[in-house]
Amino acid sequence: MNIFISGGCKNGKSYYAQRRAKEMAGSLGVPLYYIATMIPHDDEDRSRIKRHLSERDGWGFETIEQGLALTEILHNEDIDKNGVFLMDSVTALLDNEMFDDKGNIDEAAPERVKADVLEFAAATGNTVFVSDYIYGDADFYSETVESYRRGLAAADRALAEVCEEVIEIAYGTEERWK
Amino acid sequence: MKLIFGGAFQGKLEYAKKNFDIKSVHDCGAGVSSEASGTEPDFSKDAVCALEKFVLRCVRDGKEAADFFRENKEKWQDKVLIMTDVSQGIVPMDADLRAFREMNGRLMLYLASEAEEVIRVFCGIGKKVK
Repeated sequence: MNIFISGGCKNGKSYYAQRRAKEMAGSLGVPLYYIATMIPHDDEDRSRIKRHLSERDGWGFETIEQGLALTEILHNEDIDKNGVFLMDSVTALLDNEMFDDKGNIDEAAPERVKADVLEFAAATGNTVFVSDYIYGDADFYSETVESYRRGLAAADRALAEVCEEVIEIAYGTEERWK
Repeated sequence: MKLIFGGAFQGKLEYAKKNFDIKSVHDCGAGVSSEASGTEPDFSKDAVCALEKFVLRCVRDGKEAADFFRENKEKWQDKVLIMTDVSQGIVPMDADLRAFREMNGRLMLYLASEAEEVIRVFCGIGKKVK
């Protein structure tokens, strides 16, 4: 079963997603994979990754480092495609695909990421996707930020359409949309 | 009146068109840049969307958006009204935008209390909350 999870930051999405992925892998008796999407750029990122790693310690996840080109996983013979995948997060994947260290912006990234997550969901059938709800601001952003938000929303909506479950996490509580 | 709200880019208008009989729409944000004030709602249309852009105009004109709706109450009773919820992000640095954020909330409260049906849209999916 594919599950789509979103919500505000620091609301407990990752913890909830880990729990659902672990339960699914346990009941199916298949490997459990964690797709690490964050590419560290500084010490703050490195300490966040360290915290995430310790939070997943003992859960039985095998970590796949894949900050770009998500569907490459589907062609890796060492990975069991019948396994359960926790993809955390769509937000970071789009960030990596759209912006590089030199300040370049790839305007084609949103369409590519949307296609990639849809292909990944269809090919695995057992992926828990985590995204971020960044659509409630009153402030104005640059056209670049707006195209990122628009692109992430398009990927979110496409995933919400194909996933069997759509869940919003608000302060650790679960709001079921599908 | 039916009120549809949700965050930016969530597919609110698309949801409205799919679920209600809407033949014409007035978009308060049509033809204006993202930071510009929107237009006044045209209630001759079946639906009015981007009400938040009209709220921004009210802030800059020194008016209260909910008052406009109270004064024109008979005109929107059978309409579908669509607006973006801007209450969940960072408090803006700009004073007008802070006022906008709050005025938008007041209008949402008023319209939700008047609506026969309130729907929140999340990632293209609607849920009836009233």
